[in-house]
Amino acid sequence: MSGAILLEHYLVLGALLFVCGAVCMATKRNAIGVLIGVELVLNGAGVNFVAFSHFNPAFRLEGMIFALFVIVLAAGEAAVALAIVLNFYNNHTTVDVDSAEELKG
Amino acid sequence: MESMHSFLFWVIAGLTGLCAIATVVTDNIVRAATWLLFTLGGVSGIFFLLGADLVGAIQLLVYVGGTLVLVIFGVMLTAQSPFLNMKTSSAEWAISIAVGIMLLTFLCFAVFSIKGKFGPADAQHPVAQDVRRGDAADSDAATSTSTMQIGQAFLGVENGPPRGDGKRVHYLLPFEIVSIHLLVVLIGAAYLARAKKRRETML
Amino acid sequence: MQFIQDNPGLLFVIATLLPLVSFTLLLLAGAARGVLRQHQQNPTLKSLYELLGGDVTGRGPAYVGLASMVLAFGLSFYGFVLYLGDYPVHLHHSTTDEEKLPAKVEVAEKKEGEEEHHGAGKNPQAELRKKHRLEGWEGSVSWARLSFFDEAGTAAAPGSELRVGYYIDHLSALMFVMVTFVASLIHLFSTGYMADELNKQVEDHEVHAADGHYKRRGRFGRFFMFLSLFCFSMLNLLLADNLFQIFVSWELVGICSFLLIGFYYERTSASNAANKAFIVNRIGDAGFLIGLMILWTYLGTFNFQDIFQQVRAPALDAHDESIALAGTFVRFHDVEMPNRREPTKPLAGMKIDQKAGPNVLLFHADDHIHGDKLKDGVTGTARSAVGHERAPSIPYVWLVVAGLGIFLGCVGKSAQFPLQVWLPDAMEGPTPVSALIHAATMVAAGVYLVGRVFPIFTFDALLVIAYVGAITLFVAATIAVVVTDIKKVLAYSTVSQLGYMMLALGIGGWAAGLFHLMTHAFFKALLFLGSGSVIYGCHHQQDMQKMGGLFPKMKITALTMLVGVFAIAGIPLFSGWYSKDAVLANALSFFTLHREHFLLFVLPLVTAGITTFYMFRMWFMTFTGEPRDDHVYEHAHESPWIMTVPLILLAILSFCVAWGWPIYKADHSWLEHAIAASQPAAVENNWQVQIDAHAQHGANHGSYKDMVHESHAMAGYLALGVVLIGLAFAASSYLFRFLDPAESKEAFPGVHRFLQHKWYFDELYSVLIVRPGLVIAHWCRAFDTYVIDGIVNRVGSANLAVSRWHGWVDKYLVDGAVNLVGNVTLAVGLWLRNLQTGYLRSYVLFLVLASIGIWAVLALVVAAAP
Repeated sequence: MSGAILLEHYLVLGALLFVCGAVCMATKRNAIGVLIGVELVLNGAGVNFVAFSHFNPAFRLEGMIFALFVIVLAAGEAAVALAIVLNFYNNHTTVDVDSAEELKG
Repeated sequence: MESMHSFLFWVIAGLTGLCAIATVVTDNIVRAATWLLFTLGGVSGIFFLLGADLVGAIQLLVYVGGTLVLVIFGVMLTAQSPFLNMKTSSAEWAISIAVGIMLLTFLCFAVFSIKGKFGPADAQHPVAQDVRRGDAADSDAATSTSTMQIGQAFLGVENGPPRGDGKRVHYLLPFEIVSIHLLVVLIGAAYLARAKKRRETML
Repeated sequence: MQFIQDNPGLLFVIATLLPLVSFTLLLLAGAARGVLRQHQQNPTLKSLYELLGGDVTGRGPAYVGLASMVLAFGLSFYGFVLYLGDYPVHLHHSTTDEEKLPAKVEVAEKKEGEEEHHGAGKNPQAELRKKHRLEGWEGSVSWARLSFFDEAGTAAAPGSELRVGYYIDHLSALMFVMVTFVASLIHLFSTGYMADELNKQVEDHEVHAADGHYKRRGRFGRFFMFLSLFCFSMLNLLLADNLFQIFVSWELVGICSFLLIGFYYERTSASNAANKAFIVNRIGDAGFLIGLMILWTYLGTFNFQDIFQQVRAPALDAHDESIALAGTFVRFHDVEMPNRREPTKPLAGMKIDQKAGPNVLLFHADDHIHGDKLKDGVTGTARSAVGHERAPSIPYVWLVVAGLGIFLGCVGKSAQFPLQVWLPDAMEGPTPVSALIHAATMVAAGVYLVGRVFPIFTFDALLVIAYVGAITLFVAATIAVVVTDIKKVLAYSTVSQLGYMMLALGIGGWAAGLFHLMTHAFFKALLFLGSGSVIYGCHHQQDMQKMGGLFPKMKITALTMLVGVFAIAGIPLFSGWYSKDAVLANALSFFTLHREHFLLFVLPLVTAGITTFYMFRMWFMTFTGEPRDDHVYEHAHESPWIMTVPLILLAILSFCVAWGWPIYKADHSWLEHAIAASQPAAVENNWQVQIDAHAQHGANHGSYKDMVHESHAMAGYLALGVVLIGLAFAASSYLFRFLDPAESKEAFPGVHRFLQHKWYFDELYSVLIVRPGLVIAHWCRAFDTYVIDGIVNRVGSANLAVSRWHGWVDKYLVDGAVNLVGNVTLAVGLWLRNLQTGYLRSYVLFLVLASIGIWAVLALVVAAAP
């Protein structure tokens, strides 16, 4: 608990979220689970943006605006992804992403 | 004040990290969504802690309030008991965790190698050094104006002092693009998700 | 007694010769028995035969060998205590008063000056050296003279005399104690383990003769005879003060390993393994011989101290002033010496250039050296620098080649990449032999020699050593993960740990590497003897897949082996923890100075986790869980006390041999400090040169000791984390069965097959060397049969032979090449197809791996940029 909180601390948190998201995408067989992983990854990126904006005054505005874009685009992404999942569910009667393997070489 | 800041950071960051790990670890998709809710809340807390009040608020409104609800809708619409708990094989767990640990190691290497670029060494940025230490008064002063600045920057009518390099930032065009994008998403999602007759003869 | 007090080094000489006496006795007795057995009709000779043991020898040979080793251990220990009395070890190096001095001076003032000799003879180091000689810790006698006259006609000219001698320092004294102790215990253990050989008739279950199993006479005496010769060779190697003596012992060690690996020579596998070990070692020894020839040609001596004194610049010049290039190789361009064939030609003009000078100046005891003429970039003559017109030199390239040649010998002996293939096959010998080879003698010899001749290695050679070590440790550890033979797991772990030692030596962690050699000797002897006890208890069953649940049946073996596993895995407070941390701390320091060589830190770190995994896998598979094979389990039993006592003794030492005060500090090990006391000055000089070079980029690291001390904590935490991950994987796979190993195996069939075939090294050598050799041999034979006989007999058959040869070329080379191209393309295509799994989640993993790869490449590029 001692010592000032530096940029590195926030970046490590962001990295942790990012890795959690990646592992989530890799392990969850449920399509919604994959979507949750994507959200975690985007949040990791958002933490990095805001942290940089906080610690470097030259990027104060940019960091926040990019974080806002990330959030808004994530919302759009979630909507489309959900639509795709529903479509997928209609076609395959499952949400197991392992059953979507038509692109196999 | 500084110790309060550290304390809050460790508490929020710890909870956020734990919730994120819990999201990954749980097999049940409903629980994963719940843990995600806490994670997103924690991230918004981090945003508040960083003095980005507007971003934090938007995170709460759009993410926790909007996106997550979408996800939960998705869970409900597809919720059938075989899909709620889909087990992943232990070999896949092992390899994923190994790759994850590798990625985390490399990212941390990267994080600690930026030392000196943002560190206290840059004496030409005394402000940066203050902020770096989490000087609460300074960051409060900075954010109180930043909400307005953000709005002005979006509209391209910023009237504050120019940035260090003499340029002004304008985000009107990206802002418009995002708006159009969202519209397209709205229509596209509605089109994709609209109820239609299931094709029985797939494949 | 007074004589011993005056010449205490002779204690070690006597300790060396004792096993030779035992060998000679056993050899004579065995030969006499062999002769007398044929003449039993004569009553006198028959009674003599009975006197020598008759058909059944009893345990006499074991007692002779054991007595000689125990006595040797006693003498070595007494000698070591005497040596410590003369040269005590200070556990806490007092950095406080030393760090005030400038770094250069600190290096020059080092008290480990036994390796250095400083011309004038009035400085403290020279005094110390003279005292050293007087106290009798070194000495030598002339063994053979190649010519009797030098120019003056009085003394032997340089390069004309071979000497045999002894040289004792902390390292060799400690190695003596360690080797004699471990060898004594192995003798004791073998007395029990080889009890089968006491019978008049032994049935070998693995050799099939016409009437059932093969039967032969017991070979108890022969085993201990070879064991004694083995110990003598190893002790002589430790004792030697010159490379020639080491080479002789080196070859003796090689032949002993041949004899012992092929002890059951009726078995095809054993005789093949013995041949393989011997032949692979010959490849290394060819390199060793080349190195010896280069050094002999240019330096004219084999004595270590003389060699080091010649190639490295002294610390002080004739006027007692420190030299800028102290302890380094002085490289120069010779401006007016076009003829390099005569190394002792006068150097009319020379420009010192430490980066690119093609020659290295050699120093002699009677040189009158001027320090101000020995600086980087100074132009002058040989006379102005060293006071001689005829200052000799050695081309830098030859120095590198000599170092690499000697290292190639060590590669063969210590089973390093790419000559590591013989060691796992050497498991065909009896288990105590494996313990002896792996712990105390043969493989230790290579590491010991690299440490001994460290000052002649240039930076390029050291880098090769470090990379060879890093590759070896990783390759061997990955193979050990899939091996199921309990002895082979240990064999690969030995190869891997030897890689750690070579890596440490290569990056300059001299004390760390040899420290790991010491601790490794104890815990690896323990593990091997433990596995011997398991094998003995399971009636020569070695496959772990048939064991399991043996803990209640053999508690002492299981617990002592667990200590060994803890030690090798590097669990804190166990001996391996101290030495592995020391190696990793040095690797981290090296990585700090040379970012582009990040592999030299990453590989050992990752391998620490793999090591933990496979060692615990072995223990869990053998001792826990359900019995896998009822037959083996029913008949399993604990070994007799004669085998468990060595285990207990070794377990105690494996636990606490590396302790210092306070024991929880990894860099306060007494043993490491004792080894470091004999560290050549060249080690610190090398580091100082690298630190200075790095300091030009603006980084300040202080001295080498500070740097390693700082790295220790970081390296320790990282290693502990990796070890815990390895332990967690092993426990969840083999103890709690949370992860199913069979499932993991099926998930990565390619990786598993690759590892089970040991990275296809044997197959590669077979394709690259053995088969072309056979083809050439066949060609020669065809030449002989068809060409020579054909010319003698008739020309027509020669014609036929040529047509056959042509047909062979057409069938195998031309058609083969065409088919090969097609097959390779097809195989690559099929393989690439597998990557397109169609699974979303595997694509995510590929994405992550690719980004890690790109990041690593970028880091490498950035690190390599000036």
